[in-house]
Amino acid sequence: MSRLKAEHLYKVFGRRPEAAVRRLEDGASRDELRADGTTAAVIDASFEVEAGQIFVVMGLSGSGKSTLLRMLNGLLEPTSGSVLYDGRDLTALSPRELREVRSSNISMVFQHFALFPHRSVLENAAYGLEVRGVPRREREERAAEALELAGLAGWETSWPDELSGGMQQRVGLARALATDADLLLMDESFSALDPLIRRDMQDQLLDLQKRLKKTIVFITHDLNEAMRLGDRIAVMRDGRIVQNGTAEDILVRPADDYVASFIQDVDRSRVLTAGSIMDESSAAVPATATSVDADTPVAELFAPLSRSGSPVAVTGEDGEPAGVVTREGLLAALGEQPRTTTEEVTARA
Amino acid sequence: MPSIDLGGWAESSVGWLQTHLAWLFDAVNTVLTGLYEGVDAVIGAPDALIVAGILAVLAWWLRGLAAGVLAFAGLALIDSFGLWDEATATLSLVLVASLITLLVAVPLGIWAARSRRVSGVLRPVLDVMQTMPAFVYLIPGVMFFSIGPIPGLIATIVFSMPPGVRMTELGIRQVDGELVEAARAFGTTPRDTLVRVQLPLALPTIMAGVNQVIMLALSMVVIAGMAGAGGLGEAVYSAVTKVDIGGGVESGLAVVVLAMYLDRITGALGRRVSPLGRRASAKAAASARRATPAFLRYRPGTAVATVGIVVLALIGGGLRLVGGDDGRQSMAAGQNVGQGKSIKLGYFPWDEAVASTYLWQNVLEDRGYKPTVQQLDPGPLYTALAQGQMDLQFDAWLPTTHKQYMDRYGDKLADLGSWYGPTSLELSVPSYVKGVDSLADLKGKGALFGGKITGIEASAGMMARLNDTVLKEYGLDGEYKVVSSSTSAMLADLDRAIKKKEPIVTTLWSPHWAYGTHDLKKLKDPKGAWGKGEEIHAVGKKDFAQDFPRVAEWMKSFRMTEKDLSSLEAEIQSGGKGKEKESARRWLDAHPGYADRMAPAGN
Repeated sequence: MSRLKAEHLYKVFGRRPEAAVRRLEDGASRDELRADGTTAAVIDASFEVEAGQIFVVMGLSGSGKSTLLRMLNGLLEPTSGSVLYDGRDLTALSPRELREVRSSNISMVFQHFALFPHRSVLENAAYGLEVRGVPRREREERAAEALELAGLAGWETSWPDELSGGMQQRVGLARALATDADLLLMDESFSALDPLIRRDMQDQLLDLQKRLKKTIVFITHDLNEAMRLGDRIAVMRDGRIVQNGTAEDILVRPADDYVASFIQDVDRSRVLTAGSIMDESSAAVPATATSVDADTPVAELFAPLSRSGSPVAVTGEDGEPAGVVTREGLLAALGEQPRTTTEEVTARA
Repeated sequence: MPSIDLGGWAESSVGWLQTHLAWLFDAVNTVLTGLYEGVDAVIGAPDALIVAGILAVLAWWLRGLAAGVLAFAGLALIDSFGLWDEATATLSLVLVASLITLLVAVPLGIWAARSRRVSGVLRPVLDVMQTMPAFVYLIPGVMFFSIGPIPGLIATIVFSMPPGVRMTELGIRQVDGELVEAARAFGTTPRDTLVRVQLPLALPTIMAGVNQVIMLALSMVVIAGMAGAGGLGEAVYSAVTKVDIGGGVESGLAVVVLAMYLDRITGALGRRVSPLGRRASAKAAASARRATPAFLRYRPGTAVATVGIVVLALIGGGLRLVGGDDGRQSMAAGQNVGQGKSIKLGYFPWDEAVASTYLWQNVLEDRGYKPTVQQLDPGPLYTALAQGQMDLQFDAWLPTTHKQYMDRYGDKLADLGSWYGPTSLELSVPSYVKGVDSLADLKGKGALFGGKITGIEASAGMMARLNDTVLKEYGLDGEYKVVSSSTSAMLADLDRAIKKKEPIVTTLWSPHWAYGTHDLKKLKDPKGAWGKGEEIHAVGKKDFAQDFPRVAEWMKSFRMTEKDLSSLEAEIQSGGKGKEKESARRWLDAHPGYADRMAPAGN
C-alpha cells in the first residue's frame, strides 16, 4: 500500500467554492471561474507516493504546487477530495488529531527556512518535539542528533541570523528530521539558495535519504532539481497535474507540448540511462568491451565510447548482458527531439 | 438640514446613567481609588530620597551607571523644588492608568490581530478615543466619579489606550506569515502559536506601544490635574493661572524629569524583556566595550539590583516607623466644634477664592474640622458641589458672572450668603499714564495705547459688556480694539508694559491683587456703563446646613472689607506658591481676634 495517496483534490479560493468544484467537474475551465472571482488553485489532483520515495511536484509559480503541498498536512483544507496517509483520511480528522499527525508523522521544510529568530539553533531544531511535550533533556539530545545528521554539529548555541542561507536550511531540515516524522514535505526548500549550495544540499538530501528512507514530497520549479531528486515527478500546470512519471518518462515521453517545452533545456545525458538507450537486439559484444549497469547515466558512456570504437555492454539487474550501446546509438539518443505521447499515438495510427 | 440633537441625547443619557448605574460607577470608583491610593501609599510614603534611590537603582540595572546617577539627580531636583508629593501623586496615577490600560489594550490588540472584523470595529472607536478632546469626557467623568483622581484616571485610560491596542495588533500582524505557518505545520495549537511565536516576536513593537501608553498617560495626567486629579498637573495649572513663571518652570521641569525617566526606563525594559532585544543590546555592548571605561559599563545583575531595592525599601520603611510623628495638635475643649469632621473646600484659581479658602482652612482647622482644599475649574467645581462631592466654595460671583451655573444647578446648591461686595469691573491704566482718569479721557488717545485694550478670555462676561456697551457709551468703538487673550496673558502683558513704562489699558476687576502689586488707576465710569457691581457669595452643597450647621452659621455673618481682603491677598501673593496656607496663617496671626469673629466658638 502506498504511504500517501491524494484522491481528486480540489482547492478553490473565493466565494461558493463547492459550486465551483462541481462546475470544474462538469468541464468548466479555470479561466471561466476566474471571471467570476473564484480562483481554482488545484484541480483534480490524484497521485500516490510509495514509502521511501522522493515524489517531486514541479511547476512554475502559480501552478498550484504549494497549495497542493499544504493540503497534504492540512494547513489548507481541500475543497473536495481526500488525502490518505497510511490509509487514514487526513481530511476527516479533528483539528486536534490533525495537530498530532503534524507533530509526529508529517513535518515540513520551508522555502525561506522559517526559523524562529528568537530561538537558538538547538531550540529551533527541538521545536517539533517541544510542541509534542517531549521532556527538555530528551528533546535536546534528539535535536542535537538531527543537527549532526544535517551537518551542523557544534552550531547548537548559535542563532539563526548568524548562519548562512545554506546552514539555515540545514537547521530547517534538522527541525523536520528531529520529530522522526516519516513524511517530509519540502516546499521549494532549496530555491532560495545559490546554485552551488543548492547542489550541495541536494546531494546531502540524497545521501540522507539513502540512510533514512523517508517519504518525501518535494516541491520545485527547477526541472534539473526535479530530475536529480525525484523517483517520480508530477508536472503541474494551471492547477492540474499534466504528467506523472519517472524522470525518464517525462524526458522521453512528455505528455504534451507544455512538458516538452519545459524539458528542452534539460541535460539529457544526465537523466537518460544506458538501459533506456541500449540496443537490446544485438547482445554480441567483443569480450574486451567495457560493461556498465543499466542505470548508469549516459554521460558516463562518453569516455569509454570515445576511447574505443567498439560498443559498451550493458548488464541488467541480474548481471546478465542485456544489450549494447554503440556510438551511433548514443548520438541518436542525444540528438533525438522529445516527442510527445500524443504525437506518438498519431504516428502509430 | 434638520438639526440633529446629538448633544441633547448625550446629555440625557448621561443623566440616565447617573441615576441608574450609580452602583456601577461607585464600584469602579472604589476599585480605582483603592488601586491609586495603594500605589500612592507605597511610592509616596517613604522619604523622597529613598524612593529616588530605588528608582535610580532601577535605572542603573536597566541602563547603566550614568542613567542611574542622572535619574537620582533629576528626582532629587524635583524634591528640591518642593514638588515631591505632587510628583509621586502623578507617578502613581501614571502607573495605575498605564497598568489598567495595558491590561485592556494588549488582549484587545491580540483579538484585533486575529480577527479582521474586530479590527474593523475597533479602529473608529480608537480614533474617537484618541482625538475626542479630553475635557469632553472629563466633566461627565466628574459627574460619575466625583471630583478627585478618578475622572482624570479614566480620561487617561481612554486617551492612552489606542497606541497600546494598535501597536499590539501591528506587532502580531507583522510577524512573518511563514513562521506562523511553520508553527502550525509542527502541530502547534493556536494558543501556543500566540505564546511561543507571535507574542515573543511582536514584543519589541508591543513594548514600543507600552512606552507610548505611558508617555501619553503622563501627558494626560498633567491635563487631568486641571480637573482635580492633583499632582504636577495641578501645580503647573495653578502656576500658569497665577502667572507664576518660576513655579511654572519648576513644575514643568518636574514633569519633564518624570517623562524622561519613564521613557528611558520603559525603552530599556522593552529591550530587556524581548529575546531579540536582549541579543541586539548584547551585540551593541560587545562593540562598545572598548569605548567606555569599565566602571561606567558595570550594571548590577538582576539579583544585586533586587537586593539594592529591597534594602532601600526597608530603610525607607524603617525610617517611617521611627519618624512616625504623633504631632497631633491639642485643642482647647471649647474650640473643638468640628470633632474631626472632614469638610471639602473647592476653589478655582481666582485670587479672592484662594485667599478666602485658605483663610477658612486655617480657621476651620482651629475649630477641629479637617478641611481639605482642592483647586478646580469653575465648571467641575459647580458640578461637584451639585453632586455633593464637594462641600463648600467661597467665590460665587452673583448675580451675573456665575449666573449660568446657578441656573443649571441652583436647586442643588445652597447659597450661604455674600461675604464681599460690591465688586466692580473696570478698565485700568498704570498711574504713570497721565491725563487719563476716566473712560471719557480715553477718547482721542487711541494712538497713545496703539488702539488696543488688553482683554481677558473672549468668553468672559465682562468682555461682552465692554464691547457691546462700555465702548459704545463713551464713543470708543472704532478707535480701540479689544484684544482677547487670557487672564494670565493679560497680567503678563500688564507686567511687561509697566516694566518698560509703556502706556497700556487693561480690563480688570476689583478685588484683584494686581491693585496691590502694581500702581494702577481704575478709570472712572461716570455713565455707569459697566453696570452695578456683584456680590461674592459662599455656596455650599444642597444640604450643607444640615451637615455643617455651625459653619453655615459662621458663613452667614462672614464679611470681609476690601482692605482686609487685599492685604490677605498680598500676604498670600508674597508668601509664594505652595505656601498659601502658611501665608493665611501669618495674616491671621497679624490680625488677632479676626478668627474668633469669623467663627465664634461658643454657643
